[in-house]
Amino acid sequence: MDSIAREALAERVLSFARGGEAEVLVSDGDFGLTRFTHNAIHQNVASADTAVRVRTIVDGRTGVAGTNALDETSLRDVVERARAMGALAPPDDEAPGLVANANTAAPAGAFDEATANASPAERARIVADITRLAEERGLWAAGYVTSERSGITIANSAGTRVSYDGTSCGLNVKANGPDSTGFAEFYSTRFEDLDGIAAGTIAVEKTLASKAPVAVDPGEWTVVLEPAAFGELLSYLTDHFSAQAYDEGSSFLSDGLDRAYAGDTVTISDDYAHPLFAGQPFDYEGYPTRRLHLLDRGVAHELLTDSAWAKRLHRTNTGHGLPAPSAHGPAARHVVVSGGTHSTSDLVAQVKRGLLVTRFWYIRPVDHRKTIVTGMTRDGTFLIENGEIVGGVRNMRFNQSILEALGAATFSKEVARTGGYSYSSVVPTARIENFRFSSGTDF
Amino acid sequence: MTDFDACAARALDTASARGAAYADIRFEEDRSERIEVRNGAVATLSDGTSAGYGIRALFDGAWGFAASADTSDAGIDRAAARAVEIARAGAAIATHRFGQAPTDRYVDTYATPFERDASSVPLGERVALLLDAERALHAAPTIRVGRAWIDLWHTRKTFYSTTGSRIEQTLRQSGSGMMALAASEGDAQDRSYPGDIGLYQAGGWEIVEAARLRENAQRIGEEASALLTAPQCPSGEFDVILGGSQVSLQIHESCGHAAELDRIMGWEANFSGTSFLDPALLGTLRYGSDLVTIVIDNTMPGGFATVGYDDEGAKSGQSDIIRDGMLVGFEMSRDTARTLGRETNACVRAQSWEHVPMIRMCNLNLLPGDAPFEALFDGVKDGIYMESNRSWSIDDHRLNFQFGCQIGWEIKNGKRGRMVKNPTYAGVTPQFWNSCDAIADERSWVAWGTPNCGKGEPMQTGRTAQAASPARFRNVRVGVGYDG
Repeated sequence: MDSIAREALAERVLSFARGGEAEVLVSDGDFGLTRFTHNAIHQNVASADTAVRVRTIVDGRTGVAGTNALDETSLRDVVERARAMGALAPPDDEAPGLVANANTAAPAGAFDEATANASPAERARIVADITRLAEERGLWAAGYVTSERSGITIANSAGTRVSYDGTSCGLNVKANGPDSTGFAEFYSTRFEDLDGIAAGTIAVEKTLASKAPVAVDPGEWTVVLEPAAFGELLSYLTDHFSAQAYDEGSSFLSDGLDRAYAGDTVTISDDYAHPLFAGQPFDYEGYPTRRLHLLDRGVAHELLTDSAWAKRLHRTNTGHGLPAPSAHGPAARHVVVSGGTHSTSDLVAQVKRGLLVTRFWYIRPVDHRKTIVTGMTRDGTFLIENGEIVGGVRNMRFNQSILEALGAATFSKEVARTGGYSYSSVVPTARIENFRFSSGTDF
Repeated sequence: MTDFDACAARALDTASARGAAYADIRFEEDRSERIEVRNGAVATLSDGTSAGYGIRALFDGAWGFAASADTSDAGIDRAAARAVEIARAGAAIATHRFGQAPTDRYVDTYATPFERDASSVPLGERVALLLDAERALHAAPTIRVGRAWIDLWHTRKTFYSTTGSRIEQTLRQSGSGMMALAASEGDAQDRSYPGDIGLYQAGGWEIVEAARLRENAQRIGEEASALLTAPQCPSGEFDVILGGSQVSLQIHESCGHAAELDRIMGWEANFSGTSFLDPALLGTLRYGSDLVTIVIDNTMPGGFATVGYDDEGAKSGQSDIIRDGMLVGFEMSRDTARTLGRETNACVRAQSWEHVPMIRMCNLNLLPGDAPFEALFDGVKDGIYMESNRSWSIDDHRLNFQFGCQIGWEIKNGKRGRMVKNPTYAGVTPQFWNSCDAIADERSWVAWGTPNCGKGEPMQTGRTAQAASPARFRNVRVGVGYDG
């Protein structure tokens, strides 16, 4: 469904609302994913859906209902269900009204027709490129290739009419040997950018280079975190920048704004317009999303807000709302860490003894307020000695404060988009001193 | 009203005509209601419905899956053709075959037993319960956030296959919980109840009532506040008693996921990982002490994952994973079970109509022991009792784990002592389960449901359960993450 059809659908639903305020969110998508293991496709899926979400506010009482049935009866019913839910809710005098916004232009490159129409056969060809590389080296590969078209339209009784159409695609590959593994990933808005041979080569080479891994002692290490590892680590910091987390005292920022929390090499932004994202330029209330620094050379000046938290804390709305009302508060969706001045190879070359980490796994907060997290290395961890990668090491568990890690971090010039479903960010490779590992494994 | 029989016949005919050796179609209508109260205001009040169907087609040993909400003739034809096209694309580059056509045929109906239809409870009554409980959480000035919530799901699904199956199921699942966050200078502590995410089970409003939110809210708020000034949990090697919900999490992470046969076979390798388990270990691996028996029971009343049939049309039943400490089974689908020469134990689920069915942990229960809960403290000279999960991490082979709980108490000479904060513990899966030397009896055995289990690509959120009672483990590494 294109934006014109979504907007017509939204207008139609809006016309069923009577009295009070109403908001209609229409989302539409077509998604395909081809998954492989042991050098063959074992899961190959496609799904398409259009969903309508209605929010009504009558006398300060908010109700929400949703459906994916688009017939007249169901669309009238979803409006009535929202009103019925709201009618029994206690009024919230602090709730903000709906936002008014004209359309906000999407960044260049957000939508690619060829990606929207990528076929299962095209995805399978990339899989074949990857699995052939693995087979040639006596390995087996597992991973996925995905392509997606998505669109969203938000219309409300305050006059907001915004639409965005985007495409995305990606692949990841884990190559597996008898005692080692290697990983690579790539994400884009254009299917033609997906290079299975390049990603497969990286994963295969990592697997071969890390065979017969040795155990090293836990303790404090200099680490070089490749984008997949650094991006996942950083994803456990971003919810601290929410105005809600700040206000409730669960964020490190609750200690105060306009203070340095990381080293002056660290600039973290939320930027939907970064070319590697070309993302949605408004939030789920339809308000324009502001591109801003979360940490500016280590200093925090900003909080992410939506209409409710902007009103509550008397701040400007930065346009980071989730579908309202949200118990989770505002959120960053396009995190970018600015690159540094070193090449990635320089970061490794300057390490006397340390570890190169390809990827982390199962990071979880241990102490949220103190930003201490734990997690495991996986799929390619290497020992660095005198600036050279000398071989693979067995995986280890870390317990580390993210803010402490960012206190003395050095970044590569190159940045890459990383992440899968739960987060997506654009980050450089990071070198961090005194990273704390607490235990090891036998693999 | 959609005529599912006619739509199914059309879809299966279309798939067969295009070359599918087997096909099935699963119509599903999901209704989900969530109410969440935060600091005296209703933060979420939503009522969502989603309906559609997913078609699986098998061509030359390769599966294709296509999902759509379009039930017009053209929509059905398009989705069925797409499923076959996808299967053909996979078969075209296949070096070996994963799939084989099933032969089972079931014509049946199933409905979740329940005492009170949750939708018959007036919305005002539901909101009032949450507002009351949430208010009581604010038991001290340090409580910055109170939250309380109710989730209700009502699912209707009808499954058809080219082998002649027609299975109609009506499922009801309910859950509720609450959380208090206390904060002071430089510290934040949270407490939730029941367990760490609430009480989630199959059934109706009686599940919400069983959580007893009003009755426990003030205590939970007081505990959250007290944690701010409680001493740090000590670090070192201690005997540990875990509350039932934490044992449930321990089963989930270090047994449930480890024993998924698709994971063991490498089908999840690139994302959620593999497993330290191997079919060669069946009958030979001592997974835990003699006290440890863990079983699949997808028929148990109240089990969050209880259904009549799984999402590839196999009948629910019971089977052993660990019997008297020995590894004896896995969670399986038809295709994976065949590789072991076994029959499926019906552990296949899809999050919704638009998700492909895959092996999921279902109801996976640690059978209760014979000791009263209080007796677990006897014989513990120096230990820690921990409740309610706060942090969970385990490696991608399911061996090296580190978990944290919201609250702990020292145990000195068999008595529960002072409260401690930030308790964590770590271990390696088989060694840890072999250190289990006491499990509380059925009086404290609860079918803890997990509404948010992630697995697969695209990621699916599964509803699982791990019934458990509190258990005791000897010589456990405690305090990791805070020990310097």
